Amino acid sequence: MTINLNTNENPYLPDEKIHQAAMKGLDDINKYPELSDINELKKLLSKYNADFPSEQIILSHGSDLLLREIINIFSKERKIMMLSPSFFSVSNYVLEQAGKLTKFQLSPPHFALDTDFLLNELNEPTLLLIDNPNNPTGKIVLNYNLVGKILQNKNTLVLVDEAYFEFSGQTFAGLLKNYPNLIITRTMDKAFSLAGLRLGYLLAGDYFKDYFSDYPQLLSEPTVFAAIESLKNIELMKQVVAKIVDERERVSKKLKELGFEVFPSETNFLLIKSKIPELALKLKNKGILIYDLSSIYFNDFYRITIGNSNENDNLLNTILEID
Amino acid sequence: MKKIGLIVNPIAGMGGSVGLKGTDGETVKEAIALGAEPTTPKRIEETLSLIQRKDLYFLVAPGKMGEDYLKRFDFKYEVASKIGKDTNADDTKRIVLEMLKKGIKLLIFVGGDGTARDIYDAVGLTIPVVGIPSGVKMFSPVFALSPKAAAQIIDNNSSQLIEEEVLDIDEDAFRAGKLGAKLYGYLKVPKNIELLQGKKEPSNLSKPEEQSKEEIAKYLLENIEKDTLYILGPGTTLSTIAEKLNIQKTLLGIDAIFNEQLVGSDLNEKGLLEIIKKHGKAKIILTPIGGNGFIFGRASKQFTPRVLKLIDKKDVIVVATEDKISRLECLRVDTGDTETDNKLKGQVKVITGYKTETIIEVK
Repeated sequence: MTINLNTNENPYLPDEKIHQAAMKGLDDINKYPELSDINELKKLLSKYNADFPSEQIILSHGSDLLLREIINIFSKERKIMMLSPSFFSVSNYVLEQAGKLTKFQLSPPHFALDTDFLLNELNEPTLLLIDNPNNPTGKIVLNYNLVGKILQNKNTLVLVDEAYFEFSGQTFAGLLKNYPNLIITRTMDKAFSLAGLRLGYLLAGDYFKDYFSDYPQLLSEPTVFAAIESLKNIELMKQVVAKIVDERERVSKKLKELGFEVFPSETNFLLIKSKIPELALKLKNKGILIYDLSSIYFNDFYRITIGNSNENDNLLNTILEID
Repeated sequence: MKKIGLIVNPIAGMGGSVGLKGTDGETVKEAIALGAEPTTPKRIEETLSLIQRKDLYFLVAPGKMGEDYLKRFDFKYEVASKIGKDTNADDTKRIVLEMLKKGIKLLIFVGGDGTARDIYDAVGLTIPVVGIPSGVKMFSPVFALSPKAAAQIIDNNSSQLIEEEVLDIDEDAFRAGKLGAKLYGYLKVPKNIELLQGKKEPSNLSKPEEQSKEEIAKYLLENIEKDTLYILGPGTTLSTIAEKLNIQKTLLGIDAIFNEQLVGSDLNEKGLLEIIKKHGKAKIILTPIGGNGFIFGRASKQFTPRVLKLIDKKDVIVVATEDKISRLECLRVDTGDTETDNKLKGQVKVITGYKTETIIEVK
């Protein structure tokens, strides 16, 4: 059986109660979802996010759709700025209507942003897209001080994707109240183990909220019920995250011992540099998938999702066989 | 004591400042006639001055092929073989083979891709080598990034070895107007990853790549300024821009345009200095070498410190396809002049397509 360590999924199934809640959502699949269920989910998300106003939380089947929406709407006649590498997608259509696309290359070993240079670049209407922690480097690239400075520039709209917030513990949600030009995307795919049900959401600053007032948010009932159940027991999620973080550190240490360069991560994956030629292909031939970044980033760089302990042991043992 | 060989190609790199693409074969006479001066002494002396190890015993090639530089330092050495007044590739191979017989464990060589090919012919994969970059063409990743980096590799004495490609200009493709690197063989180099020059990836003319170049050209031409001299570096990305202007650009040479007309072709250092002085305001458009990211100090050595002193950093326009730039950790400069290098270092915007750019650090 193939072990998938290439898509940053959570290796653990959600709790049985959550599974049952999703199943219950199938009872009335001939009917549209109930608005009251959607509102309950929003209320729980509000509570989960330090009582952020639920009317400024926008739901979607996957945060990718929300990202696409924001980029499509808010890039018009703005310069788009983003990191390279990152998994934001800017289509030719968007580029046509945008002023310009500027990417900041993140380079090892620190993958750091030149913050002065960044701030100087905010000299025209800009849409800044940052995944924090960044995928695939796993690195936190922003801090509170920097984001505050960026947001003081009223011509700049800032989208921070916090898909890995539960792993990094860092969020800029606290700045939403004071800065209308900030918008945050989140997902329940990763920490909450709900990738298959696709639940993404926005924490929208005031500037954005009107644009989303008519955004269709009637999600499928299995998704809504599972998400509600998950948010009723945050502790379960926290335990799973802690388990993955422990495993991440164990795998990181072992990979270093095996001679790999392993970069610090604040996510559920590791960025590594390997001198074993075609590592991903060799692992694939032995039934383990990892993400080969050579096509979009540097040669010899790979992203490995942290699996459960068996999967991780399997990975480490297999690497020993091929080296 | 560790027995190591040292051999210098005394004419490597001489063609660069006078606009030749190498000094292989008979070209060296042309270089000398054009007033070229040897560049290798400074390179090898820099490396030798930085080596800290005291346990080295050198077998060094005679005279200008090594001994002349080594004898100024405190290393223990003996001279291997003999040479005549003029030296060539056969001397390199012959002397290296003699050094091998005498049991060298590591070979340090100074030169460019042509020299690397000669070294490969002689040693193959038998012993590790450290290449000190001093040639005009340096496609091969066997070279250390700089003389300083070479000294670090020698000091680190890593027992882990990796095979690196010996690449050189693909003459057949070059004649057909394509810039590509041809694989000539492999050499073993001590593992010291950060310090090794990346592989020069030939810019293949695949469709998306071509589209990317079209976009870059379109964007640049929309933004081209009147009454400004544009100096175009080598490579296929720059050729695309010239084609749009119906200008015949040399593939490996440096050409100049002014108000959309070709005003200088295959310029050497002297030609560049003259044309820049004539027009006053000049901008350079160039593309980094794929794989290692050099913008100055490698493929286009005509851009000497003297030339670059006349150009503002903001007037250096770097272009590269997105595919090329996304695989570079940084851009690099190594002009041989620290002040010039420092002026060019820091963040730079690289045009990667129509209305798209990537900000990357020049180191």
